[in-house]
Amino acid sequence: MKRREFIHVTAAAGGALMLGFTLTAQDKNTKKTFDLNAYLKISTDGTVTILAKNPEIGQGVKTSMPMIVAEELEVDWKTVKVEQSEIDRKKYGAQFAGGSTSIPTNFDTLRKAGATAREMLIIAAVQTWNADKTITVEKKDCYAELGFVVHRPTKKKLGYGELVEAASKLKAPDNPPLKDPKDYKILNTWQAGVDNQDLVTGKPLFGLDVRVPGMLFASIARAPRFGAKVVSVNDTRAKAVPGVKHVVTIEPSENPTELIGGVAVVADSTWAAMKGRNALEITWSDGSDKNESTESIRKAFQDLTSKPAKVLRQQGNVDEVFASSKKVLEATYEVPFLAHVTMEPMNYTAHVTKDKCELWGPTQVPQSVQDLAARMTGLQPSAIKVNMARIGGGFGRRLMADYAAEAIFVAKAVQAPVQIVWTREDDVQHDFYRPAGMYKLKAALNDKGNVEAWHIRAATTSRESFRNPDRPAYTTEVFPDGFPSGFTPHFRMEYATPKSNVPRGAWRAPGHNATAFVDQSFTDELAVAAGKDPLQFRLETLGAPREMPYRDHGGDYSVGRLTNVLKLVADKARWNERNKWLPKGHFLGIAAHVTFGTYIAEVAEVSIESGGKIKIHKVTAVVDCGQVVNKSGAANQIEGGIVDGLSMALYGKITIAGGAVQQSSFDDYPLLRMNEAPKIDVHFVESTEAPQGLGEMSLPPVAAAVGNAIFAATGKRLRTLPLALGDAAN
Amino acid sequence: MSTYSLNINGKTTTVDVAPDTPLLWVLRDALGLVGTKFGCGKALCGACTVHLNDNAVRSCSIPISAVSGGKITTIEGLSADGNHPLQVAWVQEDVPQCGYCQAGQIMSAAALLKQKSNPTDDDIDAAMSGNLCRCGTYTRIRKAIHTAAELQTGTRGAKKGAKK
Repeated sequence: MKRREFIHVTAAAGGALMLGFTLTAQDKNTKKTFDLNAYLKISTDGTVTILAKNPEIGQGVKTSMPMIVAEELEVDWKTVKVEQSEIDRKKYGAQFAGGSTSIPTNFDTLRKAGATAREMLIIAAVQTWNADKTITVEKKDCYAELGFVVHRPTKKKLGYGELVEAASKLKAPDNPPLKDPKDYKILNTWQAGVDNQDLVTGKPLFGLDVRVPGMLFASIARAPRFGAKVVSVNDTRAKAVPGVKHVVTIEPSENPTELIGGVAVVADSTWAAMKGRNALEITWSDGSDKNESTESIRKAFQDLTSKPAKVLRQQGNVDEVFASSKKVLEATYEVPFLAHVTMEPMNYTAHVTKDKCELWGPTQVPQSVQDLAARMTGLQPSAIKVNMARIGGGFGRRLMADYAAEAIFVAKAVQAPVQIVWTREDDVQHDFYRPAGMYKLKAALNDKGNVEAWHIRAATTSRESFRNPDRPAYTTEVFPDGFPSGFTPHFRMEYATPKSNVPRGAWRAPGHNATAFVDQSFTDELAVAAGKDPLQFRLETLGAPREMPYRDHGGDYSVGRLTNVLKLVADKARWNERNKWLPKGHFLGIAAHVTFGTYIAEVAEVSIESGGKIKIHKVTAVVDCGQVVNKSGAANQIEGGIVDGLSMALYGKITIAGGAVQQSSFDDYPLLRMNEAPKIDVHFVESTEAPQGLGEMSLPPVAAAVGNAIFAATGKRLRTLPLALGDAAN
Repeated sequence: MSTYSLNINGKTTTVDVAPDTPLLWVLRDALGLVGTKFGCGKALCGACTVHLNDNAVRSCSIPISAVSGGKITTIEGLSADGNHPLQVAWVQEDVPQCGYCQAGQIMSAAALLKQKSNPTDDDIDAAMSGNLCRCGTYTRIRKAIHTAAELQTGTRGAKKGAKK
């Protein structure tokens, strides 16, 4: 039998990387494995294992983050093993997936982790050679390459496996030298995902695949209207279903993002749980507002945008300009609620006993789940073990831990491991939706056809006012410093939010997924009114390269980098020559946006088919995210975000009636399918700037690029999402 | 509960489940074959695709009582050691993002390649439009199917450079 010992030795004081080693001993000949820091371990046989600390939701960080460590460590990436790390705040700091922050906030730490270990291995080699006394080796004559330390003058080599034990006893250097980007061998190359082979052979990687001895499965009947509570339950028929073991009523918690309440049927199989759940007879209370509907919300938006609202930013005097201008445009844009519909439905597995709690499942916020479990069980966080699963899609939905709370609640109640499984209908009807919104715009052009004044008054069902009323309601709804703020002499942004009981949350590129559509479509309207080419008009409006102050996620941005991606996408999509080469009936639309520090411009090629069906032939994208970590993963994110943006542009729409969501599955909430997926052409700007995230960035400009192409094709300006013409518009 | 004898991935297995249990949940809960995924339960997304007598079917919508005697293949049984041309191509083209739908995508594609060894883009549209990918990997799926067709017919060797 294997005997495992874990010994950690803290060798560096004051918050430096913890040194330690894990000893795996079977007999005298067994290989040993040493942790050189929290991010990597090396075995005496030379095996290098790099730990991936953040949740993998399909954004590729289980591959890209270890690549950064491997680059500085100087190892052959093909031989590196990658493992998901444990959840440990002290060791790893924040572990979460949100805001496309994994790469920008961890890049330096991961480089340093690789470089620190590399330096320790080089010092260990120098000491090993000098201990031999036949030669004198100096550190400056040694370098690391492909898992070996090499002494340049003699070409002597020692493998990392031979050095790791000695290296693990050294003090970690505080400021190891970092590589010059021009010497990168792994970063900015094309690497496939580390889990690919397991994915294509059906290995159990996901939360829903978790199997624990003695586990039960639960399906939960939730309120048919928002805020409705269980008045009474008749569970006689449910308990008669073979396999059903327990029926548990879940009380809603005060925090609307935790337990929403319901009745759980717990059984020895998923199917028995679902059948039992369907056999429940439940009487529900009326809920928060039986009369809330898409129409009532829309009416509230109209009321709020027809009168002055809270001013978020003001420059000059838009009213005076509008009163004296010859060319003034007005338009109203609207976006609906959206669901996340991750392919893996919500699920979570929990086992709660008297003195510990073990959890398994998909979450973007494992540390928050740990805190939540501590609160719900009364146990110390150290008694709560959170096991990370690979996650079948996030898109912001799994920033909420409501389904984990359900698993903890039910597992505690039945004193057995329980896996909560949501149906697709549960998922579509009990989401935290992308806020709906209405945006009233007014702009004036001067005699030269440039934007003189821009006024926007927006009303959205703010997600902050739903989950965190202490924060300003406009946060992540509109961006007072975003385009065109700063590019027009007169500007005013106003915002208001109505009361609504529809749960709201973060949805891929929160706020930007709506504002880029609004700003980039209205910009196109102004270009047309000015009689200018849409690309030329954008470049003129943006003007000379300079830093633009932006007090929000991503920080100040560079106008030069934004105009650069616009010019490049025009080049790649042959925008300026489009009238010469476009097939008959095909039209182009252009849009650009900055999301969280990444610059992206897109061109959509569109035609209108019979019945007004919108067909997307191709999308070209040019991205400036600073340094690219993984060329394959980066392009995959851009491609995927464009497809997601097309689903949003053409189909995405959640409607409310009677205080409930009307849609239920992929038949009435469709996504883009293979036969509708366009060609996608992605280009990255070669850059030495700090790397930025990529998970959310390609989505925001898509709907505007398509809408602008539809205008070019039809002369009809579509200002409401989803975009629809002809039969579909009625 | 009733007893059913099933031929799954070349082996005969017996299960004791309710007759209305969908094949999906028999695979996942009774047999531990969790590679086949639950996505919608209504045959709308294709995540649960398996082969029944070499045809792609949605296992979420077929009760076990309707399956008996049929030959079932799941992603776990698609190849002996994970080297079906589609599996090779999927890894090589780096298709997955979250990866949850990919087993179903591969099973639909495998049924297509059995019928048409060198499918056109229209063939791919027809065979694959029942499989949703929320991450939007369609362009890579299309490319990987073409690559697999080439690998299968030996028209070109495995592409270099796409590792791990």
